[in-house]
Amino acid sequence: MMASPGQTVALVIFGILALGFGTAVFRTKSMVRSALALLGSMAAVGGLFFALEAEFLGVLQLMMMATEMTIMAIFMVMFMMDPGGLGQMEMTHQKRASLTAGVVSGLIAIGLSTLSSWAAVVAAAPTPSAQLHDLGIELMSRSMLIFETAGLAILLAMIVATTIALKAEEKR
Amino acid sequence: MSGLVLLLTVLAGVYLVAVLEEWSATGRLLLGTPVVAGLAQLSRESLVPRKPDRLLFETAPALLLVAALLAAAVLPLAPGLVAVDLATGALFVNAALAYVMVALVMAGWAPDAAYALIGGWRFLGQLIAYSMLIVMPLTAVAMRAQSLATTEIVTSQAALWNVLAQPLGFALFWLAAMALAFVPPFDLPVAPGELAGGVFAEYTGVRLAIVRLGRLVLVLTLALAVVVFFLGGWLGALLPGWGWTSLKTLGVAAVMLTVGRYVPRLSPDTLLAWAWKLGIPLALVNILWVGITLLTVQR
Repeated sequence: MMASPGQTVALVIFGILALGFGTAVFRTKSMVRSALALLGSMAAVGGLFFALEAEFLGVLQLMMMATEMTIMAIFMVMFMMDPGGLGQMEMTHQKRASLTAGVVSGLIAIGLSTLSSWAAVVAAAPTPSAQLHDLGIELMSRSMLIFETAGLAILLAMIVATTIALKAEEKR
Repeated sequence: MSGLVLLLTVLAGVYLVAVLEEWSATGRLLLGTPVVAGLAQLSRESLVPRKPDRLLFETAPALLLVAALLAAAVLPLAPGLVAVDLATGALFVNAALAYVMVALVMAGWAPDAAYALIGGWRFLGQLIAYSMLIVMPLTAVAMRAQSLATTEIVTSQAALWNVLAQPLGFALFWLAAMALAFVPPFDLPVAPGELAGGVFAEYTGVRLAIVRLGRLVLVLTLALAVVVFFLGGWLGALLPGWGWTSLKTLGVAAVMLTVGRYVPRLSPDTLLAWAWKLGIPLALVNILWVGITLLTVQR
């Protein structure tokens, strides 16, 4: 499938936005700004999905990230000593190790995406409703076990976290 | 052309919701009030708190307005009269409305003020309570329509409206929509008399005018969502489709704005407890009920 000029422009814009917001995450001292910048980056990735005609993924990305990043913001505020960033706290740590990890994982991602033998390029993306249908069938057949296992694991983690959070006297 | 019609309809809808809000609060039905109140608001000084997070402070009102407008964009007024007919429309409504919460958290954090901060974080807690009660009834609605497209959801109700086919889902969605629009008794983030305006306490002048406009669009959007998903959208006899949608939407908005005035404000922990312990199990029962009726009775 060849991308139309409009799609290419949208891809470039959303790509730049995703990278820009991603950089802003580390350039601010405020936890809330940092979390919201990450939300901006993730929302731009949602825009990328839209530009690539993956409508469902785009909507899902926009929806999930709004909630997740804001909840993350409140947890960062609760756990960090200086959530407002007024004390000019350093946001980057272990620079050499993180640089190495970033470069290595970036190279692995590029390697995997270029060296993998992808299936033949289709002439046109399936219509959004066909994508939804196919995704539903996939979730209810081949991928069912994976998703059910993941769901169960998350449920278990929630119950365990709640139990740990309860005070000793409340447990009785 | 249809874009212009849609824009004018939204503007007219917002104006009428503003009239209804005034009526619900004071009991007086005055058509000129929104103009007078709006002009007065615009003429007031727009103050900035002493040490704000300026970027978030300025962005929050606009984000509230944009999020509400985006959600409205996928909701049809009549056949062919919808800004964007997405195949994932029902999900998109929820995605756009999630940014209402982001806007409120931003508005709460930005002014560096206690009441605003409490209001903002309180709304985030409230989100955990209501968002499942938005998504789960929508799941049941999509099950019946076999589609997430909002136009197909309306046509799926030709034989029987969803309010009758799945009354439990309707009640849960309605209450969750009220919580999302933070109208009484769910007005925890603003809480007049307790938080003194809460999340928007530090907004004045033009900025407050944008906030109020965003809130009115939000109420209109959620009333329209109730109509599209549960009250048969444009379906009805005699009147044209857009006429039915408009009448139903204004009716829902009027009830949303008035009912809560007679009920005391819920406390945050009560809302959370009811949503988690009662609302979510009931939403699951609703999905089960719809599944059974779909398998046993003709759609």
